Amino acid sequence: MAAKPTFSQEISNLLYASHGNPLKTCIQCGTCSGTCPVAEFMDQTPRRLIGMINADLKEDVLKCNTYWFCASCFHCTVRCPAGIDIADAMYAVKRYSIWHKTYSEDLVGPTFSETFVKTIARSGRSYEPILAPTYMFSMGIKEVLQEAYMATQMMLKGRMPVLPAKIKRLDNFKEMIRRIIPVGGAE
Amino acid sequence: MKKFAYFPGCSLDKIALSYNHSSVDTAKLLGVELQELDDWNCCGATTYFHVDQLLAYTLVARNLAQAEKAGLDLVAPCSACYKNAYFTNKYIKEDPDLAEHINFALEGDDLQFNGKINVHHIIEIFVNEVGVEEIKAKVTNPLEGLKVAPYYGCQIVRPRKDGENLENPHFFEELVEAMGAEAVDFPYRLRCCGGSLIMTSRHAALDMVRKLLQNAVDSGADVIATACPLCQVNLECYQLQVNDEFGTTFKMPVMYFTQLLGLSLGLSKKKLGIGSELVSAVPVLK
Amino acid sequence: MTQTKLLIIDDDPDYVDGIKSILEKADYSVDVAYNPKDGFKALESGNYDLLLLDIMMGRGAEGVMVARKINKDPKLRNIPVLIITGIREQIAFLFPGQPVHPRFLPTDELLEKPVDPKFLLEKVAALLEEAKAKKAE
Repeated sequence: MAAKPTFSQEISNLLYASHGNPLKTCIQCGTCSGTCPVAEFMDQTPRRLIGMINADLKEDVLKCNTYWFCASCFHCTVRCPAGIDIADAMYAVKRYSIWHKTYSEDLVGPTFSETFVKTIARSGRSYEPILAPTYMFSMGIKEVLQEAYMATQMMLKGRMPVLPAKIKRLDNFKEMIRRIIPVGGAE
Repeated sequence: MKKFAYFPGCSLDKIALSYNHSSVDTAKLLGVELQELDDWNCCGATTYFHVDQLLAYTLVARNLAQAEKAGLDLVAPCSACYKNAYFTNKYIKEDPDLAEHINFALEGDDLQFNGKINVHHIIEIFVNEVGVEEIKAKVTNPLEGLKVAPYYGCQIVRPRKDGENLENPHFFEELVEAMGAEAVDFPYRLRCCGGSLIMTSRHAALDMVRKLLQNAVDSGADVIATACPLCQVNLECYQLQVNDEFGTTFKMPVMYFTQLLGLSLGLSKKKLGIGSELVSAVPVLK
Repeated sequence: MTQTKLLIIDDDPDYVDGIKSILEKADYSVDVAYNPKDGFKALESGNYDLLLLDIMMGRGAEGVMVARKINKDPKLRNIPVLIITGIREQIAFLFPGQPVHPRFLPTDELLEKPVDPKFLLEKVAALLEEAKAKKAE
């Protein structure tokens, strides 16, 4: 039976239902890195990240910010000559880092995702003011003031919600979620 | 009158209210009724996919099921909502195990989804259902002299859906020209605005916005036209932050294409929510 | 007498190593699949006496989907299923401190990681015993 999976196999197990080709088919051409609009802000480019996964450099992969800086623009995915769904692979590594809590503390992305998911699971709708604290903590005073000024302007223009929205059939909605993730809500 | 189930999505509830109103009113003028889904829920944006894709598909399926129940195809004006709805619909149709699992969850809300509908972005409704020629014929107030940078962004065209032209689409330009405006050559029209990185990786996203704004200025545009609330907010509302961060002096209005379309069809500025921008569009509009 | 055959479907290699060695020491024959697709395939072709199933795998909470599929399959539904999950740890932010909801898990027994080896062996033995009794009826 199956031998103990290496790190790259762990990632490919997460991607078992992906519609793209396996990461192993990467030819290291760099089209993804050349296409990626965020590459210059990543500590490893997408091409290098895939190379690192394929070389089983687990620790180096998990400590880099690359996948949390992916903006889901799918430009790499549509251009990859090997047919790898690179953005989907970024999602897989994100899941790995959330499920195993391996992300570094200074990243805003994981906390933001968690808060967003929590907000929707409880109300059925997203609500910007609840999300703000998840990213404000990483800001300097100048950015916080900018953010507050913008929020005020938006409020004045009628573009900022004052109260969180909620769907009507919320109990049904929560029941629906429990049928997928059977945690919580037991009497 | 053609009718579609309309899923506005969370942004259009408030931040992009002008997109909401201008979409519904403009569509109506062109013979398309957008009937808002009852009790729709958030599509999960991109973040649900970071935690559990099955849960993400389920959230989207609840909206799809409600559209199917009404016997209508689903239309989304937000590119992220559209992408999520499009692919969830496709995957449920392709994978019976996934369909069975999600339908078990939907029973919790007395719904079921049989994969009998299609999903469209609202710009497709104007381009494909109404048609550019038809629009041209109905324009009463051509936006002559207005130089528009048509900004596609990402998720309308990507990932690949069905044989569309990914590297050189031209439907947005055609739509802008139909309004009587000039579509300028905007090389960064397919480049990402940063999306939710504006909240999670601020500096990176502001720099992405800066590059897009500079490219629009260099293209000679008076205004950027968008088809996504996230793109609009990043490009417009964060201009002040971009100017602060990089010492630039951008003052580029960013409007929803439905606002421009509405103007060309003779709707009033007020009705189209023009005036709720942080960077006023009024100086460039006649 | 032939060895009792167990299948583990779990994506965590280190965890699998641990419980596999505990079960093998107790003289069970143990096979492993590291994703739901391979796991279901193995289950269909392998004549297993018991399945140990993880929840968070692949796209998300796929173990629930696998358990439901087994339950609907007349050939497989008699195989006892023991869910061993770290789900409350893995997505603790979503439902802090809240229990797993038994009503939505079509399974025979649920244990949460980490599992005490002695307790695990007791549960496995009890489920096998129960299945045997049912078969004899």
